[in-house]
Amino acid sequence: MNRVRSFFGKPYRWAAMYGVILALAFAFVLLDAFVIPKAQIKVEPQSTPTQPEVSEYGDSAGYIAPDAATDHTEKEDDNNADVEESPPVAPVITDTSYKDENISISIETARKNGTTFYVADILLSDASYLKTALAKNVFGRNIKQTTTAMAEEHQAIFAVNGDYYGFRDTGYVLRNGVSYRDNGNDDALVIDGDGSFSVVREGSASMESLVDDGAWQVFSFGPALVLDGEIVVGSGSEVSKSKNSNPRTAIGQAGELHYIVIVSDGRTQESKGFSLLELAEEFAGRGCSIAYNLDGGGSSTMVFNGRITNNPTDGRRTGEREVSDIVYIGYE
Amino acid sequence: MSTLDMNRPRSGRTAFIYLLLSAACIAVTNIYALFGHGVRSASMDTMFLYPLLMGAAPYLLLSILLPRIRRRRFLRLAFNLYNSGVATLTVGAMLNGILEIAGTASAYQPLFMATGWIFAFIGFILFLIPDSGGRTDKKAKNP
Repeated sequence: MNRVRSFFGKPYRWAAMYGVILALAFAFVLLDAFVIPKAQIKVEPQSTPTQPEVSEYGDSAGYIAPDAATDHTEKEDDNNADVEESPPVAPVITDTSYKDENISISIETARKNGTTFYVADILLSDASYLKTALAKNVFGRNIKQTTTAMAEEHQAIFAVNGDYYGFRDTGYVLRNGVSYRDNGNDDALVIDGDGSFSVVREGSASMESLVDDGAWQVFSFGPALVLDGEIVVGSGSEVSKSKNSNPRTAIGQAGELHYIVIVSDGRTQESKGFSLLELAEEFAGRGCSIAYNLDGGGSSTMVFNGRITNNPTDGRRTGEREVSDIVYIGYE
Repeated sequence: MSTLDMNRPRSGRTAFIYLLLSAACIAVTNIYALFGHGVRSASMDTMFLYPLLMGAAPYLLLSILLPRIRRRRFLRLAFNLYNSGVATLTVGAMLNGILEIAGTASAYQPLFMATGWIFAFIGFILFLIPDSGGRTDKKAKNP
């Protein structure tokens, strides 16, 4: 005991020791929050819905590798006459569209208020083609993969980043009918098994009741942008003190099995990014009765036929950020 | 435990160091904001208050009101714990700010604030404990 007294009796020894402990604790918390992966649940394989026939354009999902996209487009151009004359068994794929007997997607690039944005207009014959996937097929914190990698793994025709659930410890997570997390207190987007969107307040609607009512996917990010056709965000609305203009990803429903997905570029000289109000106006203008904001910033990524459509950036460096999950259209 | 001969120059110097730390906190907050895409955190914006209000202000008062503190047991421990508490609260506020700005959270955040307040409180109580007239550390004569 006397040795301890003597040791800490020397000037600055206590301060030095405690400083080191404090620095290590600080570093550990940051690593735990941002870096250390914590896998919790392995995703079980999902049942596969009706598959279209395998076409000469790719595999059963119509997915094509990025380096093969041009060739397919050329083939499609050559064979347009055949496609129009016969039932659309094979998907018709261009740089900005995809169409088969179950899925129709068109991508539009537009510019408004100094912001470049990308609009995917999606029509499905069945809600089961609107899917989600978790990075590395594992639920957990800091389990990450790029949107492109997840899209390729699941042979997605179209994909955008999801709500990045793995960056937080709260917020409902229900994916493809499986509940992974049921705590939270924010507005959540619920997609029913029939493909209908609704927004609920976590806590006031339990995950159990949502599942009982037919929920198939639940996202927790927000806020809701459009409800019942009305814009529900104002000019001052923001995502936890984030600045007004940002890269954004949001999804909306325009009708039965008709969806609009918008991704905006932002934080660059060329494109400043959308405010939530500007984003909401875009959805409302396109006839969406409901729209919901997903994770944005550096996470915002739109992938179509294996290629990144937008220009992902976090404002400091360009390129795709790894995220926890995606929303995608496909068969796998 | 050794005791500390707290005199005016020493308390005044500590107050000055805390003032510098407070200014450093303001600088860190503003530099971090440059890279935060406009996102700010109340925790980080106010972290300079810990060294200012719990460090500089009380030490300045101490140097004025109690220019000489009688050596006694636990005095060094009291100051060590109190200073550690202020440091923990400041670092905890910075940590809260970093996590808030990133849009995430950690289960360990409350531990920093709880530890900081407990250390500061115990240090303060130890400082208030009157000298029982018992033994003092011989080394206190030359702190």
